[in-house]
Amino acid sequence: MVDAFILVGLPYLAIAVGIAGSVWRLRNDRYSASARSSQFMENRALLWGSAPWHIGIILILAGHALALLWPGLWSALLSPPGVLEVVEGTGMALSLLCLAGIGVLLARRITSARVQAVTTTMDLVVAGLLFVQVLLGLLTAVHLRHGAAWSTGTVAPYFWSLITLRPDMSYVADFPALFKLHLAGAWLLLMLLPFTRLIHILSVPIGYLWRAPQIVIWNNPRRRQQAVDAHITAESRREFFKGFAGLTVAAGLLSLGVLEKLFNYFKGPQPDAQAEADLLAKKLRRLQQTAEERELELERQRQKMILVARYSELVENKGHYFIDYQMNPGLAFKGKDGLPIVLSAKCTHLGCTVGSQVDEQGRILCPCHVSYFDIATGNPNPGAPAKSPLPRISWALVDPSGKVLLSRKAGGPLVGQADPAMLAQCALYITKPGSQM
Amino acid sequence: MNLREIVQKIEAYLAERFPTGKLNYASLVEHKLVPVHKLSWAYYLGGLALFFFLIQLGTGLLLLFYYQPTVSDAHASIEYITEHVPGGALVRNLHAWGSSAMIAAVIVHLLTAFAMKAFARPRELTWLTGVCLLGLTFALGFTGYLLPWHQIAVNATKIGLQSIEQIGQYLPGRMAAWPSVIKETIQGEPSVGQATLSRFFALHVIVLPLCMAALLGLHLFSVQVHGMSQGVDEPPRRYEKFFPIFLIKDLSLWGIAFLALFIAALCIPFESFYAYPLFEPFNPKGSTPDGIKPEWYFYFLYYPLELLPFWVVLLVSTAAVVVLLLAPWIFKNTSRRTLRLLAAVASLYLFVMTVFGEKIYQLFKH
Repeated sequence: MVDAFILVGLPYLAIAVGIAGSVWRLRNDRYSASARSSQFMENRALLWGSAPWHIGIILILAGHALALLWPGLWSALLSPPGVLEVVEGTGMALSLLCLAGIGVLLARRITSARVQAVTTTMDLVVAGLLFVQVLLGLLTAVHLRHGAAWSTGTVAPYFWSLITLRPDMSYVADFPALFKLHLAGAWLLLMLLPFTRLIHILSVPIGYLWRAPQIVIWNNPRRRQQAVDAHITAESRREFFKGFAGLTVAAGLLSLGVLEKLFNYFKGPQPDAQAEADLLAKKLRRLQQTAEERELELERQRQKMILVARYSELVENKGHYFIDYQMNPGLAFKGKDGLPIVLSAKCTHLGCTVGSQVDEQGRILCPCHVSYFDIATGNPNPGAPAKSPLPRISWALVDPSGKVLLSRKAGGPLVGQADPAMLAQCALYITKPGSQM
Repeated sequence: MNLREIVQKIEAYLAERFPTGKLNYASLVEHKLVPVHKLSWAYYLGGLALFFFLIQLGTGLLLLFYYQPTVSDAHASIEYITEHVPGGALVRNLHAWGSSAMIAAVIVHLLTAFAMKAFARPRELTWLTGVCLLGLTFALGFTGYLLPWHQIAVNATKIGLQSIEQIGQYLPGRMAAWPSVIKETIQGEPSVGQATLSRFFALHVIVLPLCMAALLGLHLFSVQVHGMSQGVDEPPRRYEKFFPIFLIKDLSLWGIAFLALFIAALCIPFESFYAYPLFEPFNPKGSTPDGIKPEWYFYFLYYPLELLPFWVVLLVSTAAVVVLLLAPWIFKNTSRRTLRLLAAVASLYLFVMTVFGEKIYQLFKH
């Protein structure tokens, strides 16, 4: 019975009284629709009461409104991990802010004689009620954790059942009295709204945001100067504090962000097993490649002859790359006469590696600065950046039994002879400069 | 002139260049003024270059934690930083864009300092250290370019080092072999390989930054004790206070520069301006790929090298370096108007070669 009154009767009563009363007051007594100022009477405590209270309560009410009016959107917002905790923490912090604010306001109304002069009984009742209401909300939040989440499935449908005139109190009937009192407090405040200073909620001076500034001009020059000076002092102090606070917050956020990035950078990636194995395999491949290259180096230090290719692999129009005794690239071709042509592939201009494709004029191209080298002579084309010919490399043709059939020192004459039929079975070697066959 | 007089002269010279008497709060902070005139913007460039250097220091230090300077691992570790380490791509991109920004700032700083005759007595040593810092900056750019060990890095380094060897042909007798000995000493082995990588790494990470820090200290110290140079021929009519007005403006510029750099690094990978295969790991057995060229800040040297006979470029660049080093004494009595003209001509050359170098090259070569 009490439940039914609190959860269904009171809401409708409150809505009816609230709406009707507000309309009545706004129509009949338009200029009273605000909160009576007490700033002239007392200014210091007002700042520390009013500012925290209003900042806190506006944000909290905005959260309540969002959860009640768009529960779907609200739960979507809460779904990423951690958001619920952040929202809940923020809400509790804000309600503590409210409590502190309304506490200061209440104390001020009670203790300051000057403020008492403009205080009505209803002001005290409203302030006390607000204090209790916020306290109840905070206690509910502490007692029944994650209210931001469960309210979308309970309070929001209850609220909509009231709005759509199909009241269903079963959504909230099982909650503890603490929470029911919070609900009742909300309806009570709505009911009191038209008859107390709470009416100022309906007359927020939003127009102030875009109206032209009011200019107060003193007729007395001394007072005028004083006012200007005071204004300048206050303004510059305010600007300084604003700038300082902005910088502090910005610096804090920046360093927080940078620290987070830095931490992750040093922590390094946390690859899964598969990715880690892939990385390791890749690394090993590179190490093997390097090892192979170094082996080539060792081979060149120890061996008098190094295999370049089998004779049958040589062609006339495309060179076969190999590494010569100086660890520089070389190219081997088959000449028009069937004998191998073995040249250094290190461009004599700036040391790029010359391309292996032979053009129609029997030339190969260095791509870096466009020098064409005739493979028969090694000479660069006239006007090329390269001035000297590609050096020839000593070579030998060795038959399968390991006998050297033909050989040629760099710049020397052809040594030995072989019948062309035998060549096909031979292999091409380069020979160490300065060594004897 | 006896020894005593010589020592006294040296003493007097140094005392004028390093007025340690001005090392106090009053003259460094309270009374320091910055001239305001149409070239005032140039006073911010040195600070900007310093800022980019600090960025390089920070990001370089971060990269050092993952980079491995060996032939087999260098490229793989760079890949690891870019693809796997959280924020690694950003750090590397910041370092790459930062290097370009630093070099641009340094070059413009040099040109404007020249145009404003910032080397006039008693600031000769400031200028001299500045020119050395320019050299160090280029050296940092050159050594850093090799470290990723991809095709373009190794091949461009090969070509760059080969230019040293080319000087040999103009030297008489036995001296002709010296440049190639010097080249191999820098390389550490007959061709660019592990020894080169280790050396360039040590240079890029330890040696050059330390030299830079030392010279920078001297440079900044002399800038601070002498204050901003006048900058224009007629005495400036207006001054602003160094502290806090100029300093705040300077720091805001740093903020803007950082924002711009950060956004660039976040949105534009620096390698997007090159053909992809150039970023494959270096393959010693393959042919040099097409399109090998140095970074944009070497274009002013690179395209003339491609187009003109080597000795012309060698002669002109040696002359340019000598003129740069001796500028305070050569242009002692030159008016700032003339210097501005000279600087404009130099800027025009640098701009045209950097932006249109490739077009010009193709015009003459194909």
